[in-house]
Amino acid sequence: MTDLPQAIHRGLQPFAHLSAPNASLYRRVLRVFARAKERFVVHLRPEDVAAELNRESDDQLTQALEKLVEWGNLRADADTGRVTSVEDFHRKRFLFQLTAAGQAAEQAIALYEEAIGRRGVLQSVALSDIADQLQSLVVFAGHADPDPAKVHLLLLSLAERFSSLADNAQAFMASLRRAIDFSDGDVEGFVAYKERLIDYINRFIADLANSGARIATLLTELEARDHRALLRLAARREAADAVPEGADEAEAYGRAEAAAYASWENRWQGLKDWFVSRDAGRPSQARLLRQSAVTAIKQLVDAVGLLNERRSGRSDRSADFRTLARWFAEAPDEAAMHRLWRAAFGLSSARHLTVTAETVSAWKDGDLPPGTPWRDAPPVRISPQLRRTGSYERRGRPNKIQDRSQARRLLLEQADREAAETAAARARLRTGGPTLLSELDVLDPRAFRLFLTLLGDALAARHPGESEVKAVTGDGSMEVRLSLVPDGGQVEIHTADGVLTGPEHLIEITDLTGA
Amino acid sequence: MIPAEELAQRRTALRSLLARPLLTAAHDPDRLVLVRRHLAELRAWLTRETGWRLTADAETARLFKTVPAGDDATHPARGRSGERFGRRRYVVLCLALAVLERADAQTTLGRLAEEVLNSAAEPELGFAFTLDSRAERADLVAVVRTLLDWGVLRRVAGDEDAYLSAAGDVLYDVRRPVLATLLTPARGPSTIGAASFEERLAELTAEPVADTDDLRNQAMRRRLTRRLLEDPVVYYDDLDAAERAYLVSQRHAITRRIEEATGLLAESRAEGIAMVDPDDELTDVRMPEQRTDGHVTLLVAEHLSGRDGATMEELRAFVRQAAAAHVSFWRKGVTEPGAEDGLLAVALEKLTALRLVEVRGDRVRGLPAIARYALGTPVIRGQ
Repeated sequence: MTDLPQAIHRGLQPFAHLSAPNASLYRRVLRVFARAKERFVVHLRPEDVAAELNRESDDQLTQALEKLVEWGNLRADADTGRVTSVEDFHRKRFLFQLTAAGQAAEQAIALYEEAIGRRGVLQSVALSDIADQLQSLVVFAGHADPDPAKVHLLLLSLAERFSSLADNAQAFMASLRRAIDFSDGDVEGFVAYKERLIDYINRFIADLANSGARIATLLTELEARDHRALLRLAARREAADAVPEGADEAEAYGRAEAAAYASWENRWQGLKDWFVSRDAGRPSQARLLRQSAVTAIKQLVDAVGLLNERRSGRSDRSADFRTLARWFAEAPDEAAMHRLWRAAFGLSSARHLTVTAETVSAWKDGDLPPGTPWRDAPPVRISPQLRRTGSYERRGRPNKIQDRSQARRLLLEQADREAAETAAARARLRTGGPTLLSELDVLDPRAFRLFLTLLGDALAARHPGESEVKAVTGDGSMEVRLSLVPDGGQVEIHTADGVLTGPEHLIEITDLTGA
Repeated sequence: MIPAEELAQRRTALRSLLARPLLTAAHDPDRLVLVRRHLAELRAWLTRETGWRLTADAETARLFKTVPAGDDATHPARGRSGERFGRRRYVVLCLALAVLERADAQTTLGRLAEEVLNSAAEPELGFAFTLDSRAERADLVAVVRTLLDWGVLRRVAGDEDAYLSAAGDVLYDVRRPVLATLLTPARGPSTIGAASFEERLAELTAEPVADTDDLRNQAMRRRLTRRLLEDPVVYYDDLDAAERAYLVSQRHAITRRIEEATGLLAESRAEGIAMVDPDDELTDVRMPEQRTDGHVTLLVAEHLSGRDGATMEELRAFVRQAAAAHVSFWRKGVTEPGAEDGLLAVALEKLTALRLVEVRGDRVRGLPAIARYALGTPVIRGQ
């Protein structure tokens, strides 16, 4: 009947069940065996396991047990006990027990879970213990001949207390980080936990501030009273227990004492580094711990704030958007949706009517009182082209033949007008004999422009050193004669555009076009 | 920088924000730079004069424009070709945002669609969306394109057309900071329990009631300034007695500040005030405008300004005639039977949006500002 394959030692896979499907069932089964072993019960029948698990002894359980046997966690022995039914008799029956490998795996897993699940605790009690022990050391340091045994024991318990404090502090810092990280998951748990945590850290920080200062003072005081003598006492006492080695007993003893002393010095330095900052660059562990704790509280408060924000209405935007989706779905009509859209998102453009520069200046010129109705105010003029065709540009093919008679007539008129004006200006400029510049009358703009052209032509034609010049205008219509009047001084010619000043000249302008 | 230039820049920045309350580095880099350069002054001005919040960082500027509950339905969300959003798009847009709010830093159109489908299926929504039809897929794509335009999504690979033809997918970055600025109201909709639509809207836009005269006056001034900044025309008839009295007495001070800050001009008339724009930029609806729709609008406005009002039937007849008269200038199909309905609807939508006409049931009436347009005298070139 014992045809279950017993795992060969070399092929053992006692951790295989951790990554198998149904891992949790395997874990529960194995824990049943581990607990049974604690009660000094070695063998379990499947029914026993089922009872412990509060379930039926079904095929799934049987398969799990067989699988565990295969992996080497359990071993199966034929069950020779009596049965009460035919079916049971024909079924393969086994007794199961943990194998050594299975047992070791269980212990390893337990250790792993403990280490992972460890919530470091801060020991404010340890702080006051350390302070008290240091206080006693100070007393011993004052004695001329302290009792080595008492000093040694005191130092030992100090070292032990301190290392547990340091270990715990480290674990605590790690668990703080975890506590803050897990804020994403279990919200309720986090919120409940944070109150206690904050209280706890608060208390510890207060203790650390009080006892820490006291410890730092005691450490300084001890160093002033030659703490090394005390350390040496302890080292000597430890060395006394050293097993004599080698030929020279005294030398071995000396070596042991030196080693013990160095170790005590080291521990002392550790203690000091914990409580006394060496300098600004290397703050004490206690200070670092305090800072970390304060930072942790701050992060915790932030995390709580975030959680609260997420729960309160304002910042759960996802819920906001879902609500809006429902409102849109339930809105009575399209107009309502557009209103909701604008109110909720506020992304619409501002909207303003246009105005043209002409209209604005018409308003200004009209000096409109604000009580003017729209009907009576100067309007914005719509281009007739736009009004007629819906477009500012001409559309379609241009006319093949354009009637330009209108334009031509305009041009002719314009040319006539200009000719007449020029003739008038010439007539106005004609001097009819030499005239002093200063005697020219006030000139109108057109005549003046003509005069400036003449003057420019004449001056350009004059060679340096000459005082008289005669020039004909570019179009050959006028002649100008210009001579400088010695000592004539500056003269002014008044025009509609302003005043021209220059040296006095005698000027003669003749219209060559006759008349 | 000389002061005039500084002022011009600041005006451009403020106008940009009024036209596009959400500016992103991807779409409006120059405007964003201007807003950031004048952020302190703009923020101070907006807080003082309007009570609106302005935030800006290297990626995004957002002006949180709040609006009164009012019955102004002329500001719909629009798709890329200017079409108005309908119920399905609005709902899908909100669902997509809800999904994105919970999403990872990247997502694909396919996954987004799937999750929108899931949330659309929730019974309390009472909304059918299955993505089975091409129309529904097109709506989803329109929504996604809106999100792209806002900068909530940034396309990494693929394109939406491929998705539409069911041939491919599109990968997007989700821009969380932009997503966080989309909702304007001070109060989250999910905290409002009202059951009727009007109550919901009222609570969403409610502002705290000021409890001293000074604060009440300040609140009133801000309210009026906002309307003048946002609306084409503010008619005295639309204000309550206190607002009207305040606006009449403070008209000059309020409009001068707006003119100074935006370059808009106040057209103060007996019936109300219009802040008009000499640059014709600061608007989403224009008049006059070229082409068929603009021309119909112009003709309908002209028709209405000459009389006391008209019925829809009269206007339809008028548009039919106008279409026949301008058939050579207008787009194809305007003279087909029934085309006048569409043309008239567009014209009335524009005129209503500009506060130039009022549609009440079957009757359309010109509002006072419609008289501000007239036909210009012909100009002959060369004269």
